[in-house]
Amino acid sequence: MHTQFFGNFLLNKGVITPEQLVDALKIQANTHKKLGTLAIHSGFMSASEVEDVYITQTHYDKLFGELAVNLGYLTESQVDNLLTTQLPDYMLLGQILVDKNILTHVELENLITEYKSVYEIYDLELIEEQQNMVNKLLSDFYLPEDLPHSEHILSYLTLLFNNLVRFIGEDFTTLNVMNLSEVPTNFCISQEVEGSFSFLSALDMEQETAITFASRYVNDEFQEFDEYVRASIEDFLNLHNGLYTVNMSNDFSMELQLLPPAPHENILLETGFSFYLLPIMYSFGTINFLLSIKKMEE
Amino acid sequence: MENVKILICDDSILARKQLKDIIVEHGYQDFLEASNGQEAIDLYKEHKPELVFVDIVMPVKDGVQAIHEIREFDPEANIIVVSSVGTQTQLRNAIMEGARDFVQKPYTNSGIADILKARFGGR
Repeated sequence: MHTQFFGNFLLNKGVITPEQLVDALKIQANTHKKLGTLAIHSGFMSASEVEDVYITQTHYDKLFGELAVNLGYLTESQVDNLLTTQLPDYMLLGQILVDKNILTHVELENLITEYKSVYEIYDLELIEEQQNMVNKLLSDFYLPEDLPHSEHILSYLTLLFNNLVRFIGEDFTTLNVMNLSEVPTNFCISQEVEGSFSFLSALDMEQETAITFASRYVNDEFQEFDEYVRASIEDFLNLHNGLYTVNMSNDFSMELQLLPPAPHENILLETGFSFYLLPIMYSFGTINFLLSIKKMEE
Repeated sequence: MENVKILICDDSILARKQLKDIIVEHGYQDFLEASNGQEAIDLYKEHKPELVFVDIVMPVKDGVQAIHEIREFDPEANIIVVSSVGTQTQLRNAIMEGARDFVQKPYTNSGIADILKARFGGR
């Protein structure tokens, strides 16, 4: 049910062996992206066109870009564009498997289409009614003026609403976002995400609310506020942020790192940056979602 | 199987329980538990477990560092890295540090069965 890495996806399909995957992952860090892979990723060329250029290259000692332009597959400006394009990790993994003759370009292209469709189904695994609800929440959502109206923030909130609907339930509504310099917590779990978009995210709620939230999340019936309840809420936040980092990697080639979730109880939470507090009212209690942005490079 | 010691290292008690519950079903019962990388290293040195599951993202010392130090102590250590969604870069680092295999959360019975079979066969 969870998003799969492309490597895991290939393993599950039986396309590659665990040894082949481990070998490929080992060399991934030192592998250079190729123009052909970039062209497939950008949709400028089909896999069979890329194969055609590589075959032509065995007859003419010319660069890939030059040949692709000569053959009419790319324009010169597209070549320039590709040279500055980022490549997501999964495409680089695919390129290595092609280089090792484990896959052909055409097989890779088909597998990526399938991977993305599985992934998107997962991403939109909400029934239409729930999707409408999330859309309505987003359209009614008032972002404070000083909160950057960025695509990154919107996609973060969209994913949050989707995950709440998917894992906790759709019986919630949101109130307006508040801007605070520090936040007094009840039971609070925070997690930092680092990279070119660095932020602290946190869920804060009463213990009673946490018991129901955790019970819904792991399909269990917790009776008291104990370490399993704490761990369940950490797991929810970790999963949510994990999915977000996968999305950012796939959609923007932005590699973010997750830090371990941290619990806080009855403290004054500060980061040195302002907090955006989003109250999420469930039938069983209110959850405050907190976001403190430390760095954002577009 | 009584002699097979398995170390589970994860900062989440919930994740440790979920993994332990699955492994118990396969007849193993001797477990060590650590909630951070440093505890895992200390427990490994003291007990030399036959199999280690290490989560990547943990406080105090993360899984990648723990794998590095355990392998320094025992190059033959059998370490399986546990990856959560969104930790692909760290997963790659863990594999480069010498993890033998990896398993992705959430755990599935068949995924864990494959790992136990690969490591212990019919033992």
